[in-house]
Amino acid sequence: MNQETPIFEAHDLTKTFVVKPDFLAAAAAKLMGKTAASQVVRAVDNISLTLKDGETLGIVGESGCGKSTLARMIAGISDATSGDMKFKGKNYENVLGNTAEALKIQMIFQDPMSSLNPRHKVLDIVGEGPVTHGIIKRSEMREYVTGILKTVGLGEEHLSRFPHQFSGGQRQRIGIARALAVKPELLICDEAVAALDVSVQAQIANLFMDIRAATGLSMLFISHDLSVIRHICDKVVVMYLGRVVEVADTKTLFEAPAHPYTRMLLEGMPKISLERRQFLPIQGEIPSPLDPPAGCHFHPRCQFATDRCQAETPQLKTDDRGGANNCLRYSEIVGVELDDA
Amino acid sequence: MSNRTPKEFLKQFGENRIAIVCLAITVGFIICAIFAPLIAPSNPYDLERLQLTDSLLPVGSKQIAPSQELRLDVNVIEGVGDADGFVTTPCGDGCLEFGPTDVNVDIGSMEIRDLPDGVTVDGAKKHPIRNWWTVIAPENGTVSIVSDTPLPRSFAFKAITETTGLETGFTFYLGSDGFGRDMLSAIIYGIRISILVGIAAAGTAMVIGTLLGLIAAWFGGAVDSIIMRSVDFMLGFPSLLVGLVVLAVLGSGIDKIIFAVIAVQWAYYARTTRSVALVELNKEYVEAARCQRFSSTRIMLRHVLPNCLPPLIVLLTLNVASAISLEASLSFLGMGLPLTEPSLGMLIANGYEFIFSSKYWVSLYPGLVLLIMIIAMNLLGDRLRDMNNPRLNN
Amino acid sequence: MGRDMSENVLQIDNLNTWFHTRQGDVKSVRDVSFDIKAGEVLGIVGESGSGKSVTGMSIMGQIDEPGEIVSGSIKFKGKELTELTFEDMRHLRGKEIAMIFQNPLMTLNPVLRIRDQMFEAIAEHESVPKAEMEERCIKALEAVGIPSPAERLSRYPHEFSGGMRQRIVIATALLHGPDLIIADEPTTALDVTIQAQIIYKVRQLIDELGRAMIWISHDLATLSELADRVMVMYAGTTMEIGTTAEIIGSPRHPYTRKLLESLPSRNTPGERLQQIRGNMPSLVDIGPGCPFASRCDRVTGQCSDAIAKTEVSESHAIWCCNPHPAEDLK
Repeated sequence: MNQETPIFEAHDLTKTFVVKPDFLAAAAAKLMGKTAASQVVRAVDNISLTLKDGETLGIVGESGCGKSTLARMIAGISDATSGDMKFKGKNYENVLGNTAEALKIQMIFQDPMSSLNPRHKVLDIVGEGPVTHGIIKRSEMREYVTGILKTVGLGEEHLSRFPHQFSGGQRQRIGIARALAVKPELLICDEAVAALDVSVQAQIANLFMDIRAATGLSMLFISHDLSVIRHICDKVVVMYLGRVVEVADTKTLFEAPAHPYTRMLLEGMPKISLERRQFLPIQGEIPSPLDPPAGCHFHPRCQFATDRCQAETPQLKTDDRGGANNCLRYSEIVGVELDDA
Repeated sequence: MSNRTPKEFLKQFGENRIAIVCLAITVGFIICAIFAPLIAPSNPYDLERLQLTDSLLPVGSKQIAPSQELRLDVNVIEGVGDADGFVTTPCGDGCLEFGPTDVNVDIGSMEIRDLPDGVTVDGAKKHPIRNWWTVIAPENGTVSIVSDTPLPRSFAFKAITETTGLETGFTFYLGSDGFGRDMLSAIIYGIRISILVGIAAAGTAMVIGTLLGLIAAWFGGAVDSIIMRSVDFMLGFPSLLVGLVVLAVLGSGIDKIIFAVIAVQWAYYARTTRSVALVELNKEYVEAARCQRFSSTRIMLRHVLPNCLPPLIVLLTLNVASAISLEASLSFLGMGLPLTEPSLGMLIANGYEFIFSSKYWVSLYPGLVLLIMIIAMNLLGDRLRDMNNPRLNN
Repeated sequence: MGRDMSENVLQIDNLNTWFHTRQGDVKSVRDVSFDIKAGEVLGIVGESGSGKSVTGMSIMGQIDEPGEIVSGSIKFKGKELTELTFEDMRHLRGKEIAMIFQNPLMTLNPVLRIRDQMFEAIAEHESVPKAEMEERCIKALEAVGIPSPAERLSRYPHEFSGGMRQRIVIATALLHGPDLIIADEPTTALDVTIQAQIIYKVRQLIDELGRAMIWISHDLATLSELADRVMVMYAGTTMEIGTTAEIIGSPRHPYTRKLLESLPSRNTPGERLQQIRGNMPSLVDIGPGCPFASRCDRVTGQCSDAIAKTEVSESHAIWCCNPHPAEDLK
């Protein structure tokens, strides 16, 4: 792979869930002369992304934006409905078909309690992968796992313990060790620090940065916590209801956000302040993914919305800051302050 | 059970005294079952040993050796006659005593036949038609042959004696049943059959049911529907009915009974496993396992199955008790096992007719043993279920 | 004490709440003292195991077996709550003290309509004709920003989003106009934009109605924007208490400082975050003395003895034997 090939690319990636009406509902509807509708959820809607080798890309969004679904598709544990993904230039079908290649993409999960098998000892949790796939021999397992545990800040005494005997932060370290044990090149962190205490978050965030510095692996860091994203990521992607609304370098995103949603997010983000803050009474609930607003999904909550925003489907376009956003009125609203009223 | 190390688990289990007692009882029964030939005083299956004279002996009675019959031809010549071990002794003019040389021999009854006319036996009962005289339990084993007229100097007669049985050293600690079997031995062997059927049947049902439940959970869709509708179908029938039908079709025998129990019980495991597996499959550690690119088989058996085990083990314990109960019911109804190899159920059935004629021990003791066995296993299963319930733990 | 005690809605002195378990006594709250006035928002910040939730539950009288309030006094408008009977406490709850929990899915009964749940809350303490109850509920829902409230009353909880549900819970809590509201992580499970809206609404209501509020959270940033005073808890006991400006601007306790320093916003992007070494001690049969000693850079020989309260100013107090000198955090 040469310097130019990104380690990961996605083109027009889409994932739809269809909730078919159950047998009785369909029968009842037929009796009344109607057809019961299937509900279609476009959890991920035509997303295109690029991740360069060694880069850390942050994905930010609130509930219903599809970031978890996207994470699982990239990790190869969920199928895409349409679109394609490439890992190091190779199509995902080929990558996932070859176990050795597929192992290079690993994922860290949000809930440290349920992401570890409560019946397995730490030795097995971390060591099963490398041994089963032939990376190491069974006789080397103990030594190998101890080595990995040391890099995440745990010790040999932890090998024979069960997950319930550890704290949240330690469990997350075990999850990280499990991913590292199979020598990944792309690490997807799905809200990996969200469930942890503040002081533990700092420890785990540091651990990620240390690992990145030592191995040069590429990371996809998904979070709703903007302050952590700002600290760790090189580039940020903002998602809303299945679509990418903005892409920019971290510095640019925080200093000059383009999309009205990004601006609202940054405005609403809790910041340390010495006194009470005057909040903006921003209206509107996040719409349900089952029934997203037409046109630009954000228009019901956007102070800049016009009729055009309801009629046209926005497209992601590069902008003058060096990033991209999909606001239909970007050129008109850039520089306009957010309302207080 | 899922959040404890084996040590923690045992410690918590031991906090409830009743559970420990039940565990001890169950283990005791299992040892009984394994070492039955060594523990039981006699082998109840050995038909040679059975004697009808031993039947329906009460608790604690000793076994009596079978009585022996001797047929003797006695010739009295010139007032003196003898035969094997027996001798005549004159006792007066018209009287001749006939008895064993060894006075200690216990004669149960003596029958004298073919006496000359006019000659009778003192204190004997005469056969209604023939000239046969019987004395029961003659004193000192000696009967007196008497006549109004002086006895002939020489005559011959036949003597049939029966010695009463002597007590052997063998005691029927719990009495004997209608066939002369020692109840204690029969019960011990009956325990063996019950435990064997219980564990083998419930265990096999668990393996089959669990596998089917896992398959239903993993594949979903049509496979799931087929398996689960079969489960619903099986659970719709009362288990005794299914057992009877299976045995009627397949015939009798211990392996057929095991098969009948499996046919009833697999459905419980399948249903439980499927629901637990469905919940587990949604957990993140399964996603993590898929991320580690393990095969479906490995994930189901090594990752999901261990987390399904706690409720399954509770179910197993309760089902062993239920299997034993089912087998006892089927045996009680006369299906399944041959008469010569009784299980507890059959023993109860055999003794049923004697309950009201004060020979209670034939049904009572097998019944009590069955009761204790089932209660112990049920309480054990209850304890395991309580331990498994997160809300009851601090 | 430094503050004027006359209008304290709530006054807590040396509260101790322990849980008696198989492994020993879990001393979740140890010698916690604070007070709160009408119209004030007190934020209690702490990580898991800090005892902040247990403190809230103790005030509400909702500590069940195997827990108990071992000692201490909880005075609500002069009344000693620890001495009240179960019935008396029940009458207070909902009417004069209300509690809002983190997960509205668990607080709202999924099989009852909103109307039924809100009516029940009213009827429990007052007997009011249905028409008036309906009016009060509509007003309450409007006040928290729920559109078309009259129609929403007939819906079930699952028909609302998480943010809406939490607003309904807040509205229900405010129905009787309680003098004290205890909110335990009410917006933690909600999205950032929704959280901002709710905090705005709550703050508005508190200012209008003049109630007292305790807002429990692990997020210091949220509390700094919302609370008038902040109390920092760690491993079951108080570390520091003061106005927001004092706690955020010039914290004296080593733990508070470390907590602030470990926030990403206080660190240079891309560089390692300042972290607190070590782990929280176990609360089982924990001894007297500062629980933070094992992780503190300023630990001294006296830290294992019981820590006394030091008043830095009229509003600012710390529990530390070797605090940072008075200077602003950079």
